Amino acid sequence: MKMLLRGLATLALSAGLAGGAEARPGPVELMDINTRLALELVRHTPTTSPPVASRAFAYLYVAAYEAVAGGSPDLLSLAGQLRDLDAPPLRDPAAAYDEAVVLEAALSTVIADLFANTGPTGQRAMARMAERLGEATAEGLPPEVAGRSRAQGEAVARHVLAWAAGDGGAVVENMGFPLAHDLAKGPGLWVPTSRIVQQQLPLLPDWGGNRTFAMPDGAACPLPPPPAYSEAEGSAFMAEAREVLETRRTLTEEQRAIARFWSDDPMLSPTPPGHWIAIAQQALDARDADLDLRAEVLARLSVAMADAFIGCWHEKYRWNLLRPVTYIRDHLDPAFEPLLITPPFPEYPSGHSTQSGAAAEVLTALLGEGFAFADRAHEEDGLPARHFPSFRAAAEEAALSRLHGGIHFRSAIERGLDQGRCVAAHAIALRMRR
Amino acid sequence: MRRLLLLAAFLATAVRAEEPLVPRFVEETATAGLASSYDGDWEYMVGGGVAALDCSGDGFPDLAFAGGASPASLWRNRSTRGGPLRFLKVESGIEIPAVTGAYPLDVDADGRPDLMLLRQGESRLLRGLGDCRFEPAPEGWGFRAPSAWSSAFSATWEAGQDWPTLALGTYIDPAEEFFPWGSCTDNLLVRPEGRHFAAPQPLKPSYCALSLLFTDWDRSGTPSLRVSNDREYYKGGQEQLWRLAPAAPPRLATEAEGWAYLRIWGMGIASRDLDLDGFPEYALTSMADNKLQTLVEVPADGRRPRPAFVDVAFPRGAIAQRPYTGGDVRPSTAWHAEFADVNNDARPDLFIAKGNVDAMPDFAAKDPNNLLLLRADGTFRETGLEAGVASMATSRGATLADLNLDGLPDLVVTNRRAPAQVWRNVTAGTGHWLQLRLEQPGPNRDAIGAWIEMRLPDGVHAREVTVGGGHAGGALGWWHMGLGPEAAAEVRILWPHGHAGPWERLPADGFFVLSPDAPARPWQPG
Repeated sequence: MKMLLRGLATLALSAGLAGGAEARPGPVELMDINTRLALELVRHTPTTSPPVASRAFAYLYVAAYEAVAGGSPDLLSLAGQLRDLDAPPLRDPAAAYDEAVVLEAALSTVIADLFANTGPTGQRAMARMAERLGEATAEGLPPEVAGRSRAQGEAVARHVLAWAAGDGGAVVENMGFPLAHDLAKGPGLWVPTSRIVQQQLPLLPDWGGNRTFAMPDGAACPLPPPPAYSEAEGSAFMAEAREVLETRRTLTEEQRAIARFWSDDPMLSPTPPGHWIAIAQQALDARDADLDLRAEVLARLSVAMADAFIGCWHEKYRWNLLRPVTYIRDHLDPAFEPLLITPPFPEYPSGHSTQSGAAAEVLTALLGEGFAFADRAHEEDGLPARHFPSFRAAAEEAALSRLHGGIHFRSAIERGLDQGRCVAAHAIALRMRR
Repeated sequence: MRRLLLLAAFLATAVRAEEPLVPRFVEETATAGLASSYDGDWEYMVGGGVAALDCSGDGFPDLAFAGGASPASLWRNRSTRGGPLRFLKVESGIEIPAVTGAYPLDVDADGRPDLMLLRQGESRLLRGLGDCRFEPAPEGWGFRAPSAWSSAFSATWEAGQDWPTLALGTYIDPAEEFFPWGSCTDNLLVRPEGRHFAAPQPLKPSYCALSLLFTDWDRSGTPSLRVSNDREYYKGGQEQLWRLAPAAPPRLATEAEGWAYLRIWGMGIASRDLDLDGFPEYALTSMADNKLQTLVEVPADGRRPRPAFVDVAFPRGAIAQRPYTGGDVRPSTAWHAEFADVNNDARPDLFIAKGNVDAMPDFAAKDPNNLLLLRADGTFRETGLEAGVASMATSRGATLADLNLDGLPDLVVTNRRAPAQVWRNVTAGTGHWLQLRLEQPGPNRDAIGAWIEMRLPDGVHAREVTVGGGHAGGALGWWHMGLGPEAAAEVRILWPHGHAGPWERLPADGFFVLSPDAPARPWQPG
């Protein structure tokens, strides 16, 4: 968060003093403050369920990366590596560009497009920030340089947005809940768990068919089946359900704190992918990372998480398993109440586990094994920091939080982490350095 | 949970009782002479309340509208009993801009209602002068509200106090251009010191309140403050219940006591005892699914209940989560909520004003207001379209006062950037009714905090007399009760912090003024 605060301070300075050149926000600060805005917009835009949020982050940070890479001697474009991404518009090698203006134009253009359906407060914040940062970054620059740089950033953004439009996830109607869907019926199959009319059909059932980013397709990281559905005492399935029930009945304060810390509910938080973006920001701040590393980490991380949601959703609708609350109320305890809100889609595997597993692998690959950190992502929400010895330890706690919260069986958690590791390998394999 | 399971079992087995009489409302906006809209941009996306109060002293409810960026306005009721609705705009002293809400109360017990005007800026307390004239509260009252985006209000008289305790809800910090989320400003508790107000005390933590209600939820005789908060803007917040003991700092109800960790886009509160157990249910408006809360358990041994509520909106058919007509399937946005027995069948019905915040594409743009009739089996039936009140305007506030004193609650709805609408209730063949006004000597003349109890064959119908709740507007005047087929009812008043009055049999279809230690006095319009 240190860099976010620095970005804000710079912004306030430039706003208050109508700044000289020394008040211009730099590219790192622009990345930080736009990240903070994106995290808020994810939280406050009703369509940005976790899969949709992961997609938004991926396109935002691919655009940022391409904008930065165009001016960096060390970074390679992702064109030709990410599925169907063509080369972005090239710069004029004979002309001067300002990196801050290029990046700000790219970020603000992508944000305005991806969150075009946000509410009036988000619209107001986006417009005011784009205007103010646009002015601040151009302050003191020769007009032709500022104009050329802005045009370049916007061109990169439009290129990425045009690419995004064809991935199958660009249009999200009815907040992602289909108006018609053939809901299979049978023992062990998912049934609605919510009383909200909109949620009587599951969220984004076709998301697993979306175009992926780094991995070949949504089926690239398949999972073994969950334990065979059974209502018999002694069965593996019943045993997993009993574990959820007993965990709820004996929940410790620490387990409750863990469940709430990783709850990451849509519209009440930046969602699970937003949480890991915040973790990355904190880690990059701790490393005092330069712009190239920030651009690389955020692009790889967000690509891995977006692929993780596609792969996870592919498996969710392949197995279409019921939620613990359904099984436990029917067979073990009709008064069972999970601590967390049960998400309105099939259970296996756990989405948070898959994407946390993927995120942890990417961050470990880029920032190192044993990267100890304090996660302060939810301090503003009154949830104190949690400390982790490594990214993988954080991912394992995130995954297990779904058991504490009563919304997942153990198999969904463990296989979800497995799937995340598989997905991450594709993002880690991208060539981004010369 | 036990009560929920019992309810579910009851609903599963009960034979659906006779359907309630669907009321008929006729829109008289064009002829009533009303012309008020709630104007302005982002700073006025919430608010827009209307107050019903008898400022002229003729018994007919007059109306005070928040105008947002336009001046507030006061409309004197020129209707005749049972006749068409007529209003005349009068210069009253409330014509100031930036008003977001309006609540009447009689601070100084002079029999002339005063007005709290919530504002984008400094909220103002106005003293009623009679004849629908108002002036700023005298310096000696000591009321000072800091500049804020004021969004909610409630008032009560704490035990032993001559003057009311006020609660002002505030919203986000409008100066936060880039990151308004998490910028909720402090709600304020303004307690009296003798016959003036002490300095406001912040209610920390505050979570962007859009409705407040002092309510005696546990029938202890000491109201608590319910706060419904907008989760869009708070961080770490939830719904709140402040418990107030006289002269002690307020304290929040806790999860250990049973208070549920509930996070909604809280926008309005309405309360009424729907199941005749003597304890109020609470309707909480939000975006998408709305809530109807009832106590998890009412102890049989007379002990006070825990502040543990369960949501029964879905099984009772009060969830009202998306438009029921017009073809827009996107979720609704709900604001003012109010219970009123619109067909006089002795069952309170629920009105909800609906309207998009401001071009939010994921929520319904054509979002009809709801009129949910309470059935005998405890479920609700949507009748907004049949009743004629399914307005698609972008609604905010409302009042269901009986504007022409014919015993049938009428309806006024405010709209954002569009004229307010008014409907006359012309339902034929309704049940009987009573309208009661409470009047006690000394402070708290209108007996805020009292309970009206009416004994009918199916039980005791209890109604709490409150100032607050709804969305940005409230009412003070006649308290309407439907009687169904009964030609008379026994009524008594549980006076605030005092004794229970005697049961008194009152003939139906009349107006009565009730005072402690005195028989009910009939009242006639004109």
